[in-house]
Amino acid sequence: MRNFILFIRRFFNLILFLGLEIVSIVMIAHTKTLQGDDIVSSANFVSGHIYKEQSDVKYYFGLRKMNDSLVNENARLRIQLDQIHSKDTLSDSVVHRRLNPNDTTSHIVTYADYVYRSAHVINNSLNANDNYITIDRGSSDGITKNMGVISGTGIVGRVEHVSAHFASVLSVLSSKLTVSAKLKDGTFGKIIWDEKQPDVLIMEDVQQQAKVKKGDSVFTTAFSYFSPDILIGTVLKIEQIKKNAMQRIYLQSSTNFHSLQYVYVIENKMMPEKKQLEDSSAKK
Amino acid sequence: MIMNVYLKNILRFCIIVLLQVLILNKINLRWWSEPANFPLFIPYVYPLFILLLPFETPVWALLILGFILGITVDDFMNTAGMHACATVLIAYLRTNVLNALLPRNLSEYTNQQPSMKVMGLMPFLVYSAFLIIVHHLVFFTFELWSLSNIGTLLLKTVASAITSMIFIVVYMLLFTRQSVSRT
Repeated sequence: MRNFILFIRRFFNLILFLGLEIVSIVMIAHTKTLQGDDIVSSANFVSGHIYKEQSDVKYYFGLRKMNDSLVNENARLRIQLDQIHSKDTLSDSVVHRRLNPNDTTSHIVTYADYVYRSAHVINNSLNANDNYITIDRGSSDGITKNMGVISGTGIVGRVEHVSAHFASVLSVLSSKLTVSAKLKDGTFGKIIWDEKQPDVLIMEDVQQQAKVKKGDSVFTTAFSYFSPDILIGTVLKIEQIKKNAMQRIYLQSSTNFHSLQYVYVIENKMMPEKKQLEDSSAKK
Repeated sequence: MIMNVYLKNILRFCIIVLLQVLILNKINLRWWSEPANFPLFIPYVYPLFILLLPFETPVWALLILGFILGITVDDFMNTAGMHACATVLIAYLRTNVLNALLPRNLSEYTNQQPSMKVMGLMPFLVYSAFLIIVHHLVFFTFELWSLSNIGTLLLKTVASAITSMIFIVVYMLLFTRQSVSRT
């Protein structure tokens, strides 16, 4: 026993060192899995509030830029609205009846129900391997894990950690996040990031038959946590991969991650139902 | 007016952490934009807190302070444990590096902390550069989590370490009290 205590005293520093290193490595290993966990994140009380204070100061310097981006977004939405209004969707139906969203007997089913919540970006990183964005909305505003996040111009990421008043969002600029995407002609692919430039995304696994040219737009699909047809980016460069007869497409991201100020968090109300169905069929 | 050594270090902890997370984390540097695949990086100067603790700080205190510092920075940057791991390592190595560089035994330097004045310019630079490079190498290895693109790893480490050293030298020049012989 005495020897044991002597041993502990002699190697106390080394044991403490190894202990602390093991604790850190266990924490790293937890976050390296896709699920992650909530031990350490910038969504907690102290860091969230410090970031909020800082962003309140910074807010005024970006007002002009933000106004411009809001006006642009408004203009874009107005154009979309006009397109929808000018389309007479009921022209070829036999009976003209009012659409009632609660009427489940009618054969027109509301396909997906998305709720958008605005949020203010209070911290943003670009240089890491997995970049995170902290926003000032949390579970008390109805934000939950795995909701999609978009900006006025394109996709941003997915909610990862949530606290009462803050949430941290894993941005598309991450090695952990993949997004399903489609080209104009309907060819699917997935979006990844090459961990280098914060404005270039890569679309992988695109079939060789797909006709792409420089400048084409790439949109989200309804498969993921984003609502469909949100712009992801425009094609910069196309690369043929001989090995598996696929194409790799480099995209110019439509979101400017350098100056992100406001984002929208998307809640898909159909998601729990869809998930339940998929899980139950996967079990069989 | 000699500030209590504890108070001084607590203040320095807060200042260095805030400097790191509120200012340095926001400036993404890139040495070249063409060729375009040079990665973005930021300097990490917070290990300076560990480097500047008094000479007679016991190793266990260094380790625990290093862990607290690392976890605090991790908390702000969503990198659970990576900064803590790197900082605990340099806190452990600090005593050995100082022993190797200083002519006298560490216990003979009472009430002093590592600085250019006490150690001399070159020994201080070697001491801080060595520990900073070790810290950055460990941190970026954990961040990339693979050795498949070792070029990016080394590029990021070297670029970030050199920039951090510049910031550390500037910090030392700004915050070291000059000769107080004038009354």
